Amino acid sequence: MQYGLKPLGREKISLWLMLTPTLIGLAFGVLGSIVATLLLSFTKWDLLTPPKWAGIINYIALFNDPKLSKALTNTFKFSLLYVPSVLVVSLLVAVLLNRKIRGITVFRTIYFLPAVTSAVATALVWNMIYGKDTGILNYIIELFGGQAVCWLCTDKVLTALIIVNVWGAIGEGMIIFLAGLTAIPKDYYEASMLDGANAFQQFLRISVPLVTPSIFFMTLIATINAFQAYDYIYMLTRRGQGDSSFPVVVYSIYRNAWTFFNYGGASAQAVELAILVVILMAVYFWMERRYVVYE
Amino acid sequence: MKRILFSVIIIAAILMTACGTTQPTQAVVPTTAQAASNAPVEISFSMWGAPEELAVWKQIVSDFEAANPNIKVNVEVSDWDSYWDKLKTQLAAGTPPDVFAMDAPLFLDYQSRGVLANLQPYLDKNPDMLKDVYPQTLEAYQTPDGYYGLPRDFQTIVLFYNKDMFDKAGLAYPTADWTWDDVRAASKKLTLDTNGDGKIDQYGFVFDQWDMEPGWSEALWSYGGDIISSDHTKTLVGETKAREAWQMLYNMVFVDKSSPDNNTISQYGGDLFQAGVAAMMPMGHWAVPGYNTAGFKYDAAPMPKGPAGPATSVNSAGFVIAKDSKNPDAAFEFVKYALSPAGQTRLAELGFAIPVLKSIAESPAFLEQKGSTLNQKVFLDSLAFSHMKPVFKGYDEWASVVGDGMGAVWRGEADLNKTLDEIVPQADAVLEKNK
Amino acid sequence: MTKHTQKRIMDILTYAILIAGSVIMLGPFLWMVSTAFKLPADQFTRTLIPPTWTMQNFRELFAVDISFPKLFFNSAYIAILTTIGQLLTCAMAAFCFAVVRFKGRDFLFTLLLITLMIPGQVTLIPNFIIFKYVGLVGTSVPLWLPAFWGGAFGTFLLRQYFLTIPRDLVDAARVDGASLFQIFWKIYMPLSKPALAALAIFVFQGSWNELLQPLVYMPAVPNTTLTVGLAFFQQQLTQGGKFTVLMAGALISILPLVIVFFFAQKQFIEGIALSGVKR
Repeated sequence: MQYGLKPLGREKISLWLMLTPTLIGLAFGVLGSIVATLLLSFTKWDLLTPPKWAGIINYIALFNDPKLSKALTNTFKFSLLYVPSVLVVSLLVAVLLNRKIRGITVFRTIYFLPAVTSAVATALVWNMIYGKDTGILNYIIELFGGQAVCWLCTDKVLTALIIVNVWGAIGEGMIIFLAGLTAIPKDYYEASMLDGANAFQQFLRISVPLVTPSIFFMTLIATINAFQAYDYIYMLTRRGQGDSSFPVVVYSIYRNAWTFFNYGGASAQAVELAILVVILMAVYFWMERRYVVYE
Repeated sequence: MKRILFSVIIIAAILMTACGTTQPTQAVVPTTAQAASNAPVEISFSMWGAPEELAVWKQIVSDFEAANPNIKVNVEVSDWDSYWDKLKTQLAAGTPPDVFAMDAPLFLDYQSRGVLANLQPYLDKNPDMLKDVYPQTLEAYQTPDGYYGLPRDFQTIVLFYNKDMFDKAGLAYPTADWTWDDVRAASKKLTLDTNGDGKIDQYGFVFDQWDMEPGWSEALWSYGGDIISSDHTKTLVGETKAREAWQMLYNMVFVDKSSPDNNTISQYGGDLFQAGVAAMMPMGHWAVPGYNTAGFKYDAAPMPKGPAGPATSVNSAGFVIAKDSKNPDAAFEFVKYALSPAGQTRLAELGFAIPVLKSIAESPAFLEQKGSTLNQKVFLDSLAFSHMKPVFKGYDEWASVVGDGMGAVWRGEADLNKTLDEIVPQADAVLEKNK
Repeated sequence: MTKHTQKRIMDILTYAILIAGSVIMLGPFLWMVSTAFKLPADQFTRTLIPPTWTMQNFRELFAVDISFPKLFFNSAYIAILTTIGQLLTCAMAAFCFAVVRFKGRDFLFTLLLITLMIPGQVTLIPNFIIFKYVGLVGTSVPLWLPAFWGGAFGTFLLRQYFLTIPRDLVDAARVDGASLFQIFWKIYMPLSKPALAALAIFVFQGSWNELLQPLVYMPAVPNTTLTVGLAFFQQQLTQGGKFTVLMAGALISILPLVIVFFFAQKQFIEGIALSGVKR
């Protein structure tokens, strides 16, 4: 990356002043989240009595925990489907909304609405929609002559969850991509039209490369969201007191920390999750260097 | 210009927050010398419950404050999940409420970790306080060195039935003589497609497929089985007699198909009886206020008998006082009031639970509740054959091993006996961890 | 095929896809509204229009004494403060990371991103203990004060956007003698309206929908936020399968956000129009 202004002389003060709030936040964030979580992962803590040092016992437990393995598998499966889906769909929507068409404000609102609302609220509706005997989705399917499906049963639940999560995330991606797309000067498109390019070629040769900074951002954010996905999944697969038929890692972390008096183990799981995402992040940053175009 | 605007907004916002949060907090309880001075003392009381319960507890509090002018009580009610999240956070930071509600099965998890105050010294000073309390409700809170908690109100499980559905099908209502076979037979006749769209929308019998209390613990006990060994080291849900009970329930769901499977239940929210979808359901008294607004006639009979006789579950919500409370004496005064006839009468009127004081439970205050024709006595009579809901360290984790594991069975994805074979050792591992 | 025809075809295709998608996007909301106005007995009827319209679900919600206006107010001022804090501090930091060369830049930025990866449920307790020591538990301060210390998401988002602003503008400003801060305030901020508006929307919505934080830091209902108040109801209602009332509650909780979004949208459009003209 070739960017960078050198601060001149007394400007160094401005620089660090502007960074100070973030540095405080980092100190807090590093202390509060990273260091504390790391430290706690080496303890046994039940929240009610003081933490007791326990060495790497929680990390060993990571490999012997069948519930955690299930949660990890589910998280991976989910993320693998979720990230590309969100990227593709929201980029498509953003590109379409970037054209000069009537009613753009209305469309923008409609597509953004799910992202603005709380997952807890909308998950309730989706639960009703997905009901196998009582839900409206099956009703519509049968109306068109199809077979009703048990959406929240184990064989279909992943699909159902992906639909809901992507539905809720399109707005976010759309806004990001729109912001990125509008930064592309119109003359590029006009010049290419003079050269005889059609819409698809314009998309591939102009829009996509110049929107790669946003793609990079969304990929990273979507990955983090996928690994930390919890609200929709839990609300839709809730069974019994705090049980879930599609457990994911964050769910396992929550349960260990808050229900099983195992805060140390939960911290170790959080560290494992973070490491996984960091590895992916490293991959993404490598790809940024090779593929992302900054003007 | 923009900068001035920003500053004004920020200052205004900070002023607003200063005005918005001048409420008494739990973290800042004034520490005054206790019995010696007459300065007012503030204590905090947290519990889980429904919004309606908040209103009644506020009344109890104001009655208490009238009788004890130098004690002020701040009541906080939350939903179940929020309650435990907040409580654990407060305990972790050392700022728990003075008095808080405890679910009996979880009692040992908290008591064994030393965060509860020993109430025995207070009880020794008030020897008559527990004389009239049902002994079955006290069992859960006893430890070798005394009581660390006291029951506030209790629950027994009975079989609720929808009279309208029974009338429509021309069936006789359940009685105290019914066995599980009778329930099964009736259930088959009550499972119908009421609107002719090809889908079953009424089921004869439904039970909670995760929590043992409203259903499967009673079944296991009535077949002569048990949940856990009395020394809390062995899980017994996979023993022979228990398996017979499980098999009976399983057959109702998957052979008779008169009881819905897990996927069907989840689309209705939680309580299929209240939703008017199930004709019979084991349930406790806490659901009664909700049922009264459900729009159908209902009543309750004792739980059906199994080969080993009748069995039901008794459980309680209790009071505990935090060991770190700065005003334990005042806190105990409040607990004492709630367990007095005055307090218990108010609670009886609430209708969510059963008062632990015999004299109140057997009085019209409880037995005759406005707006209900429910046979309240059946809850009291059931005490005669009740088993205590197990109380042991690691309860939540143990329950999730069993509940999650059986979940797969109730979704029709796993074999009953194989699952029991798998989860018993896992459950035992949890017990081992918590010895 | 003429340019004009090509455009017409693309337009029609665009409309077709957008409209089809809109049905999916809006469907659940229409269902939410519909159910909120149905009689409880009708809650599972498969029609979009309620067989009988009723306001009783809303009446039932408001009948319980938990002072909705106060809950609203709390949620609102906390969200506003949080948004202001994030906009200011993330923009400053993003500028530094995107535009200025300094030692440790990449390291700090990576550290910042890593804080995104630990789920909030785990960091809750360490943070709570810290706030307890400074005596801020029982107030709303822990909910909005951290917003004034930057944030990984906002900084990252704005950094990406700032990176797309052409360097020649900066170089020209330098030649004119502009200082670092002036470049930030006079060039980058005005040009980033779309990204700032986007961030504002995300932050506001995130703060509004927070449950765990207000639950542990703030006192009980009604001196807490709307989400906590609604959670209090929801459990009881879900158990009882009272979906109509649940939907009414859900509607109440999302309405303010929709309204905020409408207004923020105008800024957004303005921003996009401006940035289109910037060259």
